[in-house]
Amino acid sequence: MNPVKTESQTEIIRTICNSHCGGNCEMQVHVRDGRIIRIEPDDREGRPRMCARGHAYRQRVYATDRLLYPLKRTGARGKGEFARISWDEALDTVARELQNVKSVYGNAAILHFCSMCDPYTLHSVGAFHRLLCQFGGYTAPWGFISNEGAAFAAGLTYSTFRRYLATEHSPDEYFNSKLIIMWSWNPVDTEQGTLTPFALMRAKENGARIICVDPRYSDSAAVFADEWIPIRPGSDAAVLMAMAYTIIKENLHDTAFIQKYTHGFEQYRDYLFGKEDGLRKTTDWAEAISGIPAATIARLARDYAVTRPATLTTSIAAGRSAFGEQYHRAAAALECITGHLQFKNWQSPPSKNLKFNPQIASPPNAVEAGVPPRRNALPFRSASVNSGARVNVSLFADAILKGKSGGYNADYKFLWLSNTNYLNQLGDVNKAARAFQKLDFMLVTEQFMTATARFADIVLPVTTFFERTDLMAPRNGRVLGILNQTIAPVGECRSQLEICQALAKRLGIEDYPDKPDEALARHIVSQMANEVNLPAYDTLKTYGIYRVPAAEKSPAVSAEPQPFGTPSGKIEIYSSVAAKMENPLIPATPKYIESWESLNDPLVKKYPLQLITPHYKLRAHSQFDNLPWLRELLTQTVSINSVDAAARGIKNGEMVRVFNDRGEVRIPAAVTERIVRGVVAVPQGAWYQPDKSGIDYGGCANVLTKNVTSPGGAFSPNTALVQVAKVVA
Amino acid sequence: MQYGFYIDQRRCMNCFACVVACKDWHDIPPGPAAWIRVETIEKGKYPEPVVAFLPVACYHCEQPACIPVCPANAITKRKEDGIVVVDRDACLGKDKCGLCLEACLYGVPQFGAEADATMQKCDLCLERWAEGKKPVCVSSCPMYALDAGPMDELIKKYGKGKEAVGFTYSAALSPAVIYQAKHQSGR
Repeated sequence: MNPVKTESQTEIIRTICNSHCGGNCEMQVHVRDGRIIRIEPDDREGRPRMCARGHAYRQRVYATDRLLYPLKRTGARGKGEFARISWDEALDTVARELQNVKSVYGNAAILHFCSMCDPYTLHSVGAFHRLLCQFGGYTAPWGFISNEGAAFAAGLTYSTFRRYLATEHSPDEYFNSKLIIMWSWNPVDTEQGTLTPFALMRAKENGARIICVDPRYSDSAAVFADEWIPIRPGSDAAVLMAMAYTIIKENLHDTAFIQKYTHGFEQYRDYLFGKEDGLRKTTDWAEAISGIPAATIARLARDYAVTRPATLTTSIAAGRSAFGEQYHRAAAALECITGHLQFKNWQSPPSKNLKFNPQIASPPNAVEAGVPPRRNALPFRSASVNSGARVNVSLFADAILKGKSGGYNADYKFLWLSNTNYLNQLGDVNKAARAFQKLDFMLVTEQFMTATARFADIVLPVTTFFERTDLMAPRNGRVLGILNQTIAPVGECRSQLEICQALAKRLGIEDYPDKPDEALARHIVSQMANEVNLPAYDTLKTYGIYRVPAAEKSPAVSAEPQPFGTPSGKIEIYSSVAAKMENPLIPATPKYIESWESLNDPLVKKYPLQLITPHYKLRAHSQFDNLPWLRELLTQTVSINSVDAAARGIKNGEMVRVFNDRGEVRIPAAVTERIVRGVVAVPQGAWYQPDKSGIDYGGCANVLTKNVTSPGGAFSPNTALVQVAKVVA
Repeated sequence: MQYGFYIDQRRCMNCFACVVACKDWHDIPPGPAAWIRVETIEKGKYPEPVVAFLPVACYHCEQPACIPVCPANAITKRKEDGIVVVDRDACLGKDKCGLCLEACLYGVPQFGAEADATMQKCDLCLERWAEGKKPVCVSSCPMYALDAGPMDELIKKYGKGKEAVGFTYSAALSPAVIYQAKHQSGR
């Protein structure tokens, strides 16, 4: 089908914004003479509409700092000095270095990570994974940077990935709720399903009472909250446990639900009532940790227990912390104890996994063969993901610096990062910089000269999704979207798939898929059409996001869960999988474990403020930080309560130092009433811009965060102590 | 006929989708000129802050303050739809004149950063109406907080709300806007 042409010879081509923000939005791209001139929102009722970032995307495609040619490093690592080279020279160099490292150190010395920022099915990790597995293997990452705490907790509790994201609640569930508790959840800024804020608004307009428990009075609190309960970071699990304690003590729990669906309530009750450690998890106990008055916690507990229907949405933000998995496990336990857990969202048809995997298929990763699983491996995950050969995605810096001597599976010499500003986005920027210095070779595939790319030996410029064809094709078979190529690649940019294809040739890999992306997309759609009802490919091209209708004979949605894959077959409040790990920091029942850099840490004398690094509405992680239309809307600041600011003589808008032993950031202060006292917030994703002494003027939050994961594997950027001070000239 | 805006302040979540959609559609370069902006109103003390958001485009007033003060007759109100438009070629510019900005109660006239910047502002997406489309801010709002159209139709649909947190209605100018206001408590 031909794209729509208006009288001025402007083509309008549909595609789907795909920026790893948590949403997927439909775009009508206006193209004239091969250039994007406008990006129009989808005006069809009920379709996901773009945010400011999507509307600004034209500036990203044509950004003056867009990388247009392959580059080789000419100066010291991190200095950003590069020279333009040809694709042949770049690819020959990469292939030679790959062969070198393979022959000298073995394949395990090759470490690769491709984020989900920008690429989708055909240009995502699958393309690189296949190439590197066919090359003899590599060290792959494990874990989710965003939500490993939640995924780990869900794995122990339900033996599934499900129920770890706010999006596992349905719009209907919100709409029918009389009470919604939004726990550290700011969907106004973080997407989590483009239609989620509107669903919450419809619920509010339908009379739902909404309570926000959050260190910040976020824009979501401003829009939705009937009540804001400020909470100290790191205390979430304690408050959820005190709620459970109150509910059980007052006999408000749902015994029938507990008996029918859960395992281990008694052990958890014993923990809450102090039978294990002599400490009752009372509201007074939680008040001391969280700063929330005991009476407020008790009121919240009773309110949640007796109000039906009620929805508790615990965001993954608070799980990105030390012992973040305990917060998610405590939330799951509370949902079960009160019988609020709804099963119907888990299986709305057609949700059975497709037999056909739309991802590019790959042989096994030889590096993982024979390596025993990690100690915190989860049974529901594949042997490959559980392999001890993998490195936690958040710990690359640590792994590169320590290698085998630090207990890792290999010494890592070759690092390939694709579509990730890794240095900027993981804990402890200065440590990552030290690690990158140690590498034999570093390859970065990117759109911009990021802080990460500055360290690369070779930088390969990649296309945006406007410049290639891709697919949104999740294996649940519910939706399918074709990301139509709208313009030719800018400069000499190539797609991720084209880069892998060209390298495969140079590495002597003969059966790497060599078709263009659109041919592969057509093939995938035709395979999927064997299992779900899909229109023809050319019709799909004009749809945007196509929602697969339920099959006529699909089974009715059941209010009952499918059997759980846990050892007990039930929802495990007491996890026998955790018990077998024999790690007191991964207890069998949810437990409150005091974090490192807590307010009881002696470090508090030097660094008395807790740092949180929330997501920012004008960036998707570090993406979009360089776009003028967005930069002019808000300033990167450190938010600080007016009382804390006054104690330091800091005025609103004044440049301040935010620092600890790991580094220093200098940005303006936003003195506000909208953050809990004792806590400061530096939104994550601002680009690291160090001066000669290493002080960052870009406002990169991870200069201050620690490069360590929670015992379950969670990235912990919301656990860090800092000090804030005036800049003394 | 008078066209105008409907704005549900309770739904506005300060996402700036309308602001950037407008800049992209009208190809407005980065800089101080924005045909629609979102203001944040903050009051109150911790732990009970009061926060509201207010989108501000042009209210296409029935009695615009900007028109009589313009020495160049660059601003006109269209008879057929009441939309207030500016002829940028006729405008004398902010440095030489700027009287419209002084006269407008709502800070609507916009000027770029360039020297001799001439006035620009919201034209309610005149050319989109011709294609049967609503203004791009309306079409882009993920919260369906905005609408636009003939005022009599908007009143029929949404009532006559003239108040919003951060907005003062001027009977003399009679701005063509209907609000669904957020409660003064911010809740």
